[in-house]
Amino acid sequence: MTSERKITANRANARASTGPRTTRGRARAARNALRHALSFPVCSIPALSEEVETLAREIAGRGASAQTQELARRVAEAQIDLHRVRSARHQLLFDTLNKENYESYANMRMKVKLLRALLRPNPPDISMEALEFATPQGPDKLATILSGKAKKLLAMDRYERRALSRRKFAIRAFDAARARTATTRG
Amino acid sequence: MIRLVERMVAFVPRKSESKTEVAAAQVPGQVQRLSLFGPPLLLEGEDAAAYDELLARMCAAVKPVDVIDEMLVADIVALEWEVLRWRRLKRTLMRQVALKALERFLIDRLESNYALHEEHFQSYLTEILKNNLPPEQADSAETLAAECTPNTDEANDKLGKVLSSLGLGNNVLDDARADKAKELAHEYVRGERDAVTLVNELLTDAGVSMDTFMTKALRKRIDEIERIDRLTTIAETRRNAALREMDRRRAVLGETLRRRVQEIEDVEFADGELVPVPPPAEGNAA
Repeated sequence: MTSERKITANRANARASTGPRTTRGRARAARNALRHALSFPVCSIPALSEEVETLAREIAGRGASAQTQELARRVAEAQIDLHRVRSARHQLLFDTLNKENYESYANMRMKVKLLRALLRPNPPDISMEALEFATPQGPDKLATILSGKAKKLLAMDRYERRALSRRKFAIRAFDAARARTATTRG
Repeated sequence: MIRLVERMVAFVPRKSESKTEVAAAQVPGQVQRLSLFGPPLLLEGEDAAAYDELLARMCAAVKPVDVIDEMLVADIVALEWEVLRWRRLKRTLMRQVALKALERFLIDRLESNYALHEEHFQSYLTEILKNNLPPEQADSAETLAAECTPNTDEANDKLGKVLSSLGLGNNVLDDARADKAKELAHEYVRGERDAVTLVNELLTDAGVSMDTFMTKALRKRIDEIERIDRLTTIAETRRNAALREMDRRRAVLGETLRRRVQEIEDVEFADGELVPVPPPAEGNAA
């Protein structure tokens, strides 16, 4: 069981965690949602909203009731959102792969460190193995990108997970409504 | 619908062209309809035709019955493609590092056994001399190389003099050795019999095996391999979830269809019940 002392400490810590305090920090945090814009609902983007409506009509089919149409719209919304997240992730990988001289931060730090060592009056003997971190190409480059952009990719993965979950429940609700309609008609 | 496809295609700028879009008329209707959910998200060097083949095979196997089914099929294919991508990447990375380690091992072995690469060194040196000697002496490159390659003090002195007169460094032997090791390692990977026999002999003599190099490779790139494994697991889990969802939908759809068939039959036979008419009694026949 959690002790009273621990509960008090947790509450005190939670009260202290109120986000950035400085003006600069607050301004920076205010721009968080704009980083990849994936937190905006698809319906707030006109082009995507139109796509949602078209896909919803395809899903619901002709002569669907208002309720079925609404449920189909939820499925479509989640699907378009999912596609948006996957496209953003793909775009990130695609663009970075196309950067000719892409370097991970770790690699760059290593290079700077080595250069500094070599520029000293008595440069150390450096083995060939130590010099083996040329700009990565091919599969090496993709692996480097996955490491370098891990944080960003992880954030995008969270959006994908949420969209998948929303779509799953939306499909289930849609199927259940359709099944109910079929029974009623019968 | 066409407008939507066009818009979704435009959503992701892509260099590789998928035949799903290019030859839409040639592929089955459902594959064509699947482009509704956007173009395949391929990376540089990935084969769009292979993606389309996977999609077509999946469609043929699953036979989607509605838009949601098609959505799930598109998902399964995209996730399967991702699984394959990450597995391929992991295998390539491991092989690359193992190959590098094998090359290094072979360089060491060749250094301690000159006879193993004497012939290669001679041809390597001939090539260098042909490219660097004055045109009138180019014909003598082969003879000169033959005189310089035996592993004797006299030949080594001559080699040093020739190289310095041409303004070349003394690392020609090292370069030739590295070149031979690379060639040997690639032949070994390709499974060429002579190379396999020689490399296996060298490995056995040194008391190591290819597993040793694979372990080294894993240790060197453990972070990247772990990350790739995680991505593979995520894609596999999501693909399996989509498959389960499809199973569930099929069950619901099957149940609905069964009920509908039953209802149709009930309506059909509600008016005139099919009661077997007894044959007329013999006495009433007349």
